[in-house]
Amino acid sequence: MELQHHQSPMDVFRPKKRSNVVCRIFDRQISSGASGTSVRYTRRFYENVVPDYTIYEVECPDQIYRKFTDDGQYLICFSRNHQDLIVYRPTWLSYSCKEDCNTNDLPPKAKKFESFFSQLYCVSLASSNDLICKDFFLYTGSNQFGIFATSTAQIHDALPVGGAVQGVPSIEKITFHLLRLEDGVVLDQKSFQNDFINLAHNMGVFLYDDLLAIVSLRYQTIHILQIRDSGNLVDVRSIGTFCREDDQLFLTSNTQTDLHQGQPSSDYCFLSGIKQRLLSFIFRGIWNEESDQSSRVQLLKKKFYFHFQDYVDLIIWKVQFLDRHHLLIKFGSVDGVVSRNVDHHRSFFAVYNMETTEIVAFYQNSADELYLLFEQFGDHFHATSRNSLYLNFTSSHSNNMHAREQLRSNKNKASSSSASSQFVKKVLASLPFSCQSESPSPYFDQSLFKFDEKSISPMDRHRPSPDQHIKFCLRRKPKVLKFKMKPGPEAGSVDNRTKKISSFLFHPFLPLALSIQQSMSLQPSVLNIHFRK
Amino acid sequence: MTTPSAPSLASSSRWASTTSVSSSGKRIHREMVELNIDPPPDCCAGPKGDNLYHWIATVFGPPGTPYHGGIYFLDITFPSDYPFKPPKVVFTTRIYHCNVDSNGNLSLEMLKDSWSPALTITKLLLAIRSIFTRPDPYNPLVPSIARLYLEDKAKYDELASEWTLRFAK
Repeated sequence: MELQHHQSPMDVFRPKKRSNVVCRIFDRQISSGASGTSVRYTRRFYENVVPDYTIYEVECPDQIYRKFTDDGQYLICFSRNHQDLIVYRPTWLSYSCKEDCNTNDLPPKAKKFESFFSQLYCVSLASSNDLICKDFFLYTGSNQFGIFATSTAQIHDALPVGGAVQGVPSIEKITFHLLRLEDGVVLDQKSFQNDFINLAHNMGVFLYDDLLAIVSLRYQTIHILQIRDSGNLVDVRSIGTFCREDDQLFLTSNTQTDLHQGQPSSDYCFLSGIKQRLLSFIFRGIWNEESDQSSRVQLLKKKFYFHFQDYVDLIIWKVQFLDRHHLLIKFGSVDGVVSRNVDHHRSFFAVYNMETTEIVAFYQNSADELYLLFEQFGDHFHATSRNSLYLNFTSSHSNNMHAREQLRSNKNKASSSSASSQFVKKVLASLPFSCQSESPSPYFDQSLFKFDEKSISPMDRHRPSPDQHIKFCLRRKPKVLKFKMKPGPEAGSVDNRTKKISSFLFHPFLPLALSIQQSMSLQPSVLNIHFRK
Repeated sequence: MTTPSAPSLASSSRWASTTSVSSSGKRIHREMVELNIDPPPDCCAGPKGDNLYHWIATVFGPPGTPYHGGIYFLDITFPSDYPFKPPKVVFTTRIYHCNVDSNGNLSLEMLKDSWSPALTITKLLLAIRSIFTRPDPYNPLVPSIARLYLEDKAKYDELASEWTLRFAK
């Protein structure tokens, strides 16, 4: 019996786990993993079943390949002209042929997109003057609804009318479409006029269970909507100028009697509901820091009143749910929203309880305390809906030893105090999380596979196309290369001058992935299918 | 709680500089020192950014009043001929009060005809704080609230505390 160096003393008494798939099936019949680890134990079979075969340059429709839904039921695509939604059902490769079935290679007829995917429908979402936002898509696993967005062109120098924030661009109309993915029927729509919602990578919208939080950057309002099983989008509340859903009604019904005063109340002289909560939380915190009256006044003068206007000028950048009641809100300056390089801007995080309308916590983006919370309890920030089974296995530094080691080693490299503060800012820049931006594929499970995170990651992003194959090695012994994949033509590209970008779409549980390579020129993209033959 | 440091240095170009040697500036500065040495209870104030003429005041809603539990922010603007002219005080937190109009303007006898150059920021803060405990319904800005205060105090208290809960937390 050979012992591995990382085995615990208890493992001495267990037979060594064999990695051959036949042995594993036999082992499965006679033993099981430690209690509570059965899913993890079963997932090890993925070490044997990998997408190690590639069909290069698959004959496929020229369209935008967006995403597999997290339950693996649908492949979402958009037409090149950003008008239509095209939905496919992933089917496992099936083909029939009369002769030559015994050869190792697939017949050319099988090497088609249609052998793997069957089109369910194609529906038009956009109208004459708006387009589908190809970077936006959310999926509710429980009732298989999809949320899509269409928008008109962006106006950069929009006038800040009606209480809008100056410096934030405007979009004439943004429409969210709620679709039943089973048959492509549009169930409901919700439009925002002359507003700005950050739709890229789902940044401005967060879905949690049946609750949707939409951040209007222009009007500084968090719209909370509920997706009913009946297929309706219902306004629950909006947080911004007011905190409770009936605050405005309460105010108008209470001040109506004073209308004879002539001047109707203008909202802009008062602090908004969320700012009042934020400022009073900060004020209370500093007040309680010091008990001596005179030093307290000094402290407040320096830490609160001096920066009062800066706090008032903060705007809501991004929001995520932590649970059904708590929102994690990122505040920053207007410049930070428009500029691409967000890391350099100072920003703040607040935890807000929608029910009690209280700020629960407030941190700066370089706060060690928040970083430590994030390091230890990272999964609490990954608020996933209850129904998404596979998402529980997305690797993070809180649930995965290897991811944690990576984070710690990066942290130790940043040893000086200024580097450490930069490191904290960099890590916290991922908060609040973008909704549904990580692939739950087991091939990204860091307890199973090791891969170069610079060239591939579960994050849903385009990257510069790699020249080399991307390698996936076993995390456990014998740590050998299990499979490799490469976007683009098999022989490499003839033209090395044009910059190419690639993206990977992994099926959530099948050994199936698509790689799409695009060049900046107008050539159609190259699609490779990676699967287990 | 860890107090985060401020977002950015307040821009100095927006307001007059602290180094102003005018007599009103000197006077405000002296009153600031006075306030720092002997601050009144449950309220506080300080210059916004580096502008001595624009202050923010904060008042805790006093216990025993329907304003209890609320934190009220006020803008105080000093005229350039202070202390010969009174400062202007505006609530930036919504409040249900017969001496505060629907735009937040505060009406105090002290800030009008009874203003005297002998009054200071500390005394002003005390006066602001006293309107929470003793509203003046006989010189109201909002007559309907003043009427309710005189006729049905219980209903007034109920409404005022509802406002506190909704808008001043």
